[in-house]
Amino acid sequence: MEKHAGAPGGSDGAGPNRKLWGSPTSGAAAGETPESPSGSHVEWCKQLIAATISSQISVTPEHSTELRGKCSRTRFLSCQERASRPQVSQCHLFDTPPPPIPHVRMMMMRSSSFAVKDVMYICPFSGLVNGTLTITNYKLYFSGTDREFVLDVNLGVISRQETISVPNQGENTKGLELVCKDMRSPRFAYKTEEDHPDVVELISKHAFPLSHNLPLFAFLYKELFPVDGWKVYDPAAEYRRQLTISKVNSSYELCDTYPATLVIPTNISDDDIRRVAAFRVKHRIPVLSWIHPETQATIVRCSQPLVGPSDRRCKEDERFLQIIMDANAQSHKLSIFDARQGSVALTNKAKDGGFESESFYTNVELNFLEIPNIHVIRESLRKVKDAVYPTIDEAHWHSNIHQTHWLEYIRLLLAGAAKVADKLESGKTSVVVHCSDGWDRTAQLTSLSMLMLDSFYRTLPGFQVLLEKEWISFGHKFSRVGHGDENHANSERSPLFVQFIDCVWQMTRQFPAAFEFNELFLITVLDHLYSCLFGTFLYNSEQERAAKEVQTCTVSLWSYINSQKDDFTNPFYVDYQNHVLYPMVSSRHLELWSSYYARWNPRMRPQVGPPHELQRRVEELQREASSSHSLSSSSSHSPTHTTGHLCTPLSDTHTHTHTHTHTHSLTHTQSLIIDCVYDI
Amino acid sequence: MEFSEHIKTANVEDVVLRQPLHPPSRGTLCITGHHLLFSDREETGTRQFLLLLKNIDAIEKRMSGSSGTITIKCKDLRVLQLDIPGMEQCLNIAHSIETLSCLDCASEMYPFFHRPSDLSLQDQWGLSSTEKLYSQMKELHDRWRVSTVNRDYSVCPSYPPAVIVPKNIDDSMLKKVAKFRQGGRFPVLCYYHRKNGMVIMRSSQPLPGANRKRCKEDEDLLQAVLDGSDKGYIIDTRSSQQATQARMTGGGFESKSSYSCWKRLHRQMEKGKALQESLIKLVEACGDESNNMDRWLSKLENSKWLFYVQTALSTAGLLAECVERDGHSVLVHGSEGKDSTLLISTLAQLIMDPHCRSLEGFLALLEREWVQAGHPFMQRCAHSAFSHARLQQESPVFLLLLDCVWQLWRQFPLALGFSEALLLRLATEAYASDFGTFLCNSHQERWALGVMERTHCLFKALLRPRERDYYSNPLYEPTELAIWPSVHPQSLQLWRGFFLRWTQQSRHLEEAQEEIRNMVIEWGKLALS
Repeated sequence: MEKHAGAPGGSDGAGPNRKLWGSPTSGAAAGETPESPSGSHVEWCKQLIAATISSQISVTPEHSTELRGKCSRTRFLSCQERASRPQVSQCHLFDTPPPPIPHVRMMMMRSSSFAVKDVMYICPFSGLVNGTLTITNYKLYFSGTDREFVLDVNLGVISRQETISVPNQGENTKGLELVCKDMRSPRFAYKTEEDHPDVVELISKHAFPLSHNLPLFAFLYKELFPVDGWKVYDPAAEYRRQLTISKVNSSYELCDTYPATLVIPTNISDDDIRRVAAFRVKHRIPVLSWIHPETQATIVRCSQPLVGPSDRRCKEDERFLQIIMDANAQSHKLSIFDARQGSVALTNKAKDGGFESESFYTNVELNFLEIPNIHVIRESLRKVKDAVYPTIDEAHWHSNIHQTHWLEYIRLLLAGAAKVADKLESGKTSVVVHCSDGWDRTAQLTSLSMLMLDSFYRTLPGFQVLLEKEWISFGHKFSRVGHGDENHANSERSPLFVQFIDCVWQMTRQFPAAFEFNELFLITVLDHLYSCLFGTFLYNSEQERAAKEVQTCTVSLWSYINSQKDDFTNPFYVDYQNHVLYPMVSSRHLELWSSYYARWNPRMRPQVGPPHELQRRVEELQREASSSHSLSSSSSHSPTHTTGHLCTPLSDTHTHTHTHTHTHSLTHTQSLIIDCVYDI
Repeated sequence: MEFSEHIKTANVEDVVLRQPLHPPSRGTLCITGHHLLFSDREETGTRQFLLLLKNIDAIEKRMSGSSGTITIKCKDLRVLQLDIPGMEQCLNIAHSIETLSCLDCASEMYPFFHRPSDLSLQDQWGLSSTEKLYSQMKELHDRWRVSTVNRDYSVCPSYPPAVIVPKNIDDSMLKKVAKFRQGGRFPVLCYYHRKNGMVIMRSSQPLPGANRKRCKEDEDLLQAVLDGSDKGYIIDTRSSQQATQARMTGGGFESKSSYSCWKRLHRQMEKGKALQESLIKLVEACGDESNNMDRWLSKLENSKWLFYVQTALSTAGLLAECVERDGHSVLVHGSEGKDSTLLISTLAQLIMDPHCRSLEGFLALLEREWVQAGHPFMQRCAHSAFSHARLQQESPVFLLLLDCVWQLWRQFPLALGFSEALLLRLATEAYASDFGTFLCNSHQERWALGVMERTHCLFKALLRPRERDYYSNPLYEPTELAIWPSVHPQSLQLWRGFFLRWTQQSRHLEEAQEEIRNMVIEWGKLALS
């Protein structure tokens, strides 16, 4: 088997396991990975197969589609455009995961695709399904032969492949599990025949293109959108809302993980800045994230100082923070929020890192936010997956969720961000936020507190700016979600962006009218975090993206989003300008984001319905009003809603597909039945 | 009036009132026979705060020096605090509240004194009646009749005077059936499914007892319900073990040999004490201010409240499934047939019947299935989650119903014609009310006290134009389809609107609702013009 190490995407070269030779999919490899829960899965799989074969469960078709049988080089329709669901017949489980994500409407496959017949999808909800598996360079697509059934998995979402054993299916049958990043793990059984292409190899090639010296799909995808999403974030324009701009990093010479455009205090020389850079990990000096329009108090972000075990000092760094403090006339203090646990920060000192000493930095108060590191969060999310997929243990739902500690970490993060926001708003004090490198927890905290403080970031364009600025330009290592990279066991894999979006979702729940975007938007962002369809979340820094010409060679996610804003707009949005929103962080007010994490569970479907249904209803009402009275200068009638979009008539074609789609989802929801549901 | 003997101090100046979500305010406190009245005088004008004493579930008093603090815990889960100067005044006030809030003589309760200007006692009381319902439903006339065998409440004290029964079962047979059912609650029709002519009947348990008595009239009545169809279902809200044990105390179940066409399904549903304790645990967990996520989730699970919600919804789903999808008639009962039985028959009707989902339809359903059908509101709602009094007949079955309806409402936000505000209002009114609707335990008791002549009807009041606007769902879009709820734990949520009503800033949620309401009204105007 020929495998080549992928051209590593990162220029920092820090990823220790990036070059991995050999096949990750061979039988032996399956049990080796530390994350592999294979033992119990295999057992489960056996039981499932035995049960389904003996009882001959017939399964109700869940949805039909125009895509049946062989489909190669074709125009893929989005899941939403499927035909209506046939009448639900008596008594059976329904199957495949719900399709809540609107995929890009048209997907032209550039290279040929392979169809493998006689594949069995081992559905965890309804047993075995026979059908054809089609693999393209963007997605994997399974359609049933005996019944209408579709499973659609974007290849970018695959974390690893595992071989599973499939008993009672003949000798040349192989089992394959695709462990995905989005909380599901579909399993297949297929016959190995001489003339068949090797499924595992095929998937591996396209799911992990970088590991095979192939380009990411985003570089092949050329759909034209009416809007250019690469233009949503213009640092100069964004900072013009704020302060003066420094050229010190214009060609990334000061710090290669920072953007070219930085805002720093004016009265400090470039030489001093270089000394500060030398005193901060990865040269990530304190730079401006946000400034309060009234009090001039600022949020400043950086990495940890290189204090080391001998308590090194850096006069320029101390003066730098003094200048930041002095720039704010309202307060004679500066607050440093170190996201880490105090004990961990102390350990870091031994490794040449550390934290600012209150005795060297005058009038500075240091707070530890006690947030655990990415490894703890990754493990927690893994447990969430265990709790929601493939089956949910109903009797212990709450205790299983509690054992993941996921909500506890969400609470810590929201509470930390609220402390930062409150220090700025009520304390009128400038704050400095850092963790170790200043690109993970730091980005979470600054962006969440900015979301609380500044209503601009709660709009659809504003949120895009927030992500572009605090996450993408300031060097959050997005490649650590594993773009096109087969090295799934990499200990640097990080779910922190998912955790951040979860926090945003918790806020949208508590303030349902304060955000211009809806839940679908957040889910779409997360889906394309993995998909590699758009260039937005590729690579780790501005410098790297410039080198790869991401902006010219790929399409921006925002081009897609902003070309169909209606789908992603919260119909109940009210612009709370100048409102600071403090979310309630008590545990009673947080809940598991089931409609994201548990969305593949078919029993979640009624829950997936309502937001869309609500949105459809509101849009219908808008349309009724605007069509029956497009002449009556409608906007003046309604003093209560300040938002222009409420009056915008939808374009005809769009309206049509929209109504169509949603009508089906309505019948779906309402005639949705599983007999055995009530037979507890 | 004799209330005055309980009021030693009627007025206290300079009292500080602390209530959730409001800044403390200073003013005058006044105790009347039915109310606690507080008025403060700010520069912006006088504000008044009025609380029905009946709403108070428990009070705690704490003295310090010459003043005292009274903590008032209300049945709607609000917790208030009064700082009262003067030890004696404080003790007097506390004593008055304690005594007056516990008076349980129905005829002296506030509904008999409440006289709103826009309602008249001459108006017909209630939304409908058995006779009216029957005359509207022509489909019933072939096989069903209205019986007034209970006109003097002698056959079944907890039934209304008129009920619907199979046509070929005459009153003398009904009397015999009543003797064979606990409390005389013989099987009566509560729902007719227009799509296929199947029905839901409800009753109490039969009384075969240890020596397995039979009652031919009872068997005939159920046979008449089947009307030639091959089988029916009996949903017993007890486990089969519980049902068997009930024989030792004279009760029991319909045996296979005597009722060969009926198939029994047992679904154990908690009620009574277990349910009340679940509520107490849940409310205690909700009031715990600590931020510890672990404790919260385990407390939520331990309270079992959501499990009871799940059981109720899934049993109702099962019932609706038998009728709508299997096409069979169903008889529902537990032991008394006044609690779980009503709970699941009500929910099943909401699932299947579009008429029940409008605002009027829902209120009429509650009137029929709870008020007239004899849910003992006075006993069940005597205390809520805070009281230290020894539990007797208290049980939050009605609250559980409202929670289940809220879950439906959340899962099908367009299918129900009423808003969450209505459910919250009903949850409060069931425990303490200006209206007579939830007074007493049965039709008979209400008749004896003249409730229908001397008090106003809550449901009528909720349909006044302003209230109707407020309690309607602006996005309501009636559907003929059944609304099958998802009953999996990940689909069910804590009813925050009720349980965290006084701890969370609901302002934003309310603003969002207000915005929807305004938009819809504006669009309505635009579409018309």
